[in-house]
Amino acid sequence: MIVAGIEPRAEMVHWWFATAILVLGLLFLAETIVGPEVWARRPWRRYLWPATMFLIGLLLWPVMALYTNSMIHMVAHGSWAQVLMLSGGAELGVVRGKLHSRYWRLTSAGALFVSGTAFLVHEQNGWFFARAAFLHHALGWTLIVAAVFPLVQAIRPRSVAAASGFAMTFFVVAVLLYCDRDSAAILGHFSQFAGVPHR
Amino acid sequence: MKRALLVVAFVALVAPASAFAHASLQKESPSFKQRLAVSPRQVVLQFDQSVDALPKAIQVFTLKGKNIAGTPRAIPAQREIVASLPRLPKGPYTVRWQALSNDGHIVTGVYTFGVRVAAPPVTDAVGAQGPTRTEDIVRWLYFVGLALAVGGIGFRLLIVRGPLSARAQRRFFWVTGIGIVTVLETGITSFLLRGEDFLQLPFSRFLYGDLSPLASGTRFGQTFVIMELGFALVAALIFLAWLTDRNALLWVAFGLGLVFISGLSLSGHSAADAGHSWLSELADWVHLTAATLWVGGLVQLAVVVWPTSPELRATAFRRFSRLATVLVALLLAAGTYLSILRLPHVHDLWTTGYGHVLLVKLGLVALALTWGAAHHFIAVPRIERPGVTGTLARTLIGESAVAMAVLLAAAILTDSKPPPQPLPKAPVAAVSQR
Repeated sequence: MIVAGIEPRAEMVHWWFATAILVLGLLFLAETIVGPEVWARRPWRRYLWPATMFLIGLLLWPVMALYTNSMIHMVAHGSWAQVLMLSGGAELGVVRGKLHSRYWRLTSAGALFVSGTAFLVHEQNGWFFARAAFLHHALGWTLIVAAVFPLVQAIRPRSVAAASGFAMTFFVVAVLLYCDRDSAAILGHFSQFAGVPHR
Repeated sequence: MKRALLVVAFVALVAPASAFAHASLQKESPSFKQRLAVSPRQVVLQFDQSVDALPKAIQVFTLKGKNIAGTPRAIPAQREIVASLPRLPKGPYTVRWQALSNDGHIVTGVYTFGVRVAAPPVTDAVGAQGPTRTEDIVRWLYFVGLALAVGGIGFRLLIVRGPLSARAQRRFFWVTGIGIVTVLETGITSFLLRGEDFLQLPFSRFLYGDLSPLASGTRFGQTFVIMELGFALVAALIFLAWLTDRNALLWVAFGLGLVFISGLSLSGHSAADAGHSWLSELADWVHLTAATLWVGGLVQLAVVVWPTSPELRATAFRRFSRLATVLVALLLAAGTYLSILRLPHVHDLWTTGYGHVLLVKLGLVALALTWGAAHHFIAVPRIERPGVTGTLARTLIGESAVAMAVLLAAAILTDSKPPPQPLPKAPVAAVSQR
């Protein structure tokens, strides 16, 4: 009922994907905390986050194809779908032993960079225009800066700092996606019924 | 239980819910493609959040391109924009709208309706120019992608059935992977190019153009949605087949590929033009499938088997030659039937643009068939002789190139309008009654 009463309508799909990204962050964090050796003791655990990433990418295709109310959103959703599938797929290939170079981790760096760029390109207003604008800028720059973590991991695979940074990126992205609402003022009212519109 | 949860999660993801940031058109009157018995008094657009009306918020164009809508005004309480209309005579009309969204973005859209006539598809809205040369190229790439992906898998499953060397297997997946990615990318590009044409907006405004009338209100759009989702699934299956070395997944990908190819037959000339029937749709699908398997198989033979697996060359060549005979027979039978259907008179071949392209295509097909026949009747019996395989490598690449050119002609044909069908003669009795 609470969700139904929110104006504008709750952005359920953002929240669903925020949850999936939160799960990814938890998996990364768990691996970082226990270390890659302990994490890999059960072979299926090594497939967990790459498979999740691949699946999120696959599930973004319906969002791309079914939400065609704006060209730029369609392209942005399509690019997220593809980079997530590519990055998850490359990691699955490494885990399975099909791919051998550690530089395949660079696909994750590329995925974060492309995703961040898509966020920035599809938001044409400045940082403080509205909450959505603020969040899109924050999401975009977070992802672009965070592309450094998998870049470092490709060169120094045992870097705990890079692994932690990579994991925390997904938490930040999840929280920002949960907050992503358009019409509200920045850090202000949640609903247009709660106060004057921001413009 | 786990399966049920997965299904629920998937349905929840795809069920209607807002994933969209800007104002979206929720309801409109007259509605998309509505056929009205009487002239409407006004156009009402209702959004999911409050919007501001811009000077040209609602324009209603007649077939001659004249805007007949009154000054638009916003009704914030109802989240509506309204424009009055004069009494509209019988005919099709195009509504072009734009609104200033709450977040400052201008959202834009187009749709059509008809007064006492059927509304045209939005791709035929006033101002739309129709397919361009760029779209022909994109469609050609789409066909090439289909051939590399679906035809390539068909070749792997039907011709080279056994295990392949690691190098050959890797190359097979590279070629197939490039094919399926091409299908997905050109599918999106072709949809956006259609959208750009009917919206007729400068690029900065096109970014926020509403493409939903194209996606939901036209066969082309509906097919795009289904095929894009279907081929994303096929891409995932190809990837999993590579990852797990399971050919069973390739069979599923192949089956789905063949099913989703039918989207083109269910949305093209064979499904929409005069004289269409289930038989024309089936013939189109057979034609497309046979071409896909033939071209894809040729490329696999030239690019995968020949350079990487000398031990398989003779077997693969003989098997493909047998399959190609069947495919070519199907291709010709279905193609002839469709040509007769689309060209009511033989002279249409040299008097219409569609006929000219068809003639070029037929010429290229004849060249490819002669090439294939030379392979079948001359090369196959001599394949074990020394030096023949080296020559064949070059001629296979040549035949593949001609086959690609056939696909280009097919792409241009698909985007062209066939000549109009002759009107049926009125019965004598009906004429005399008038």
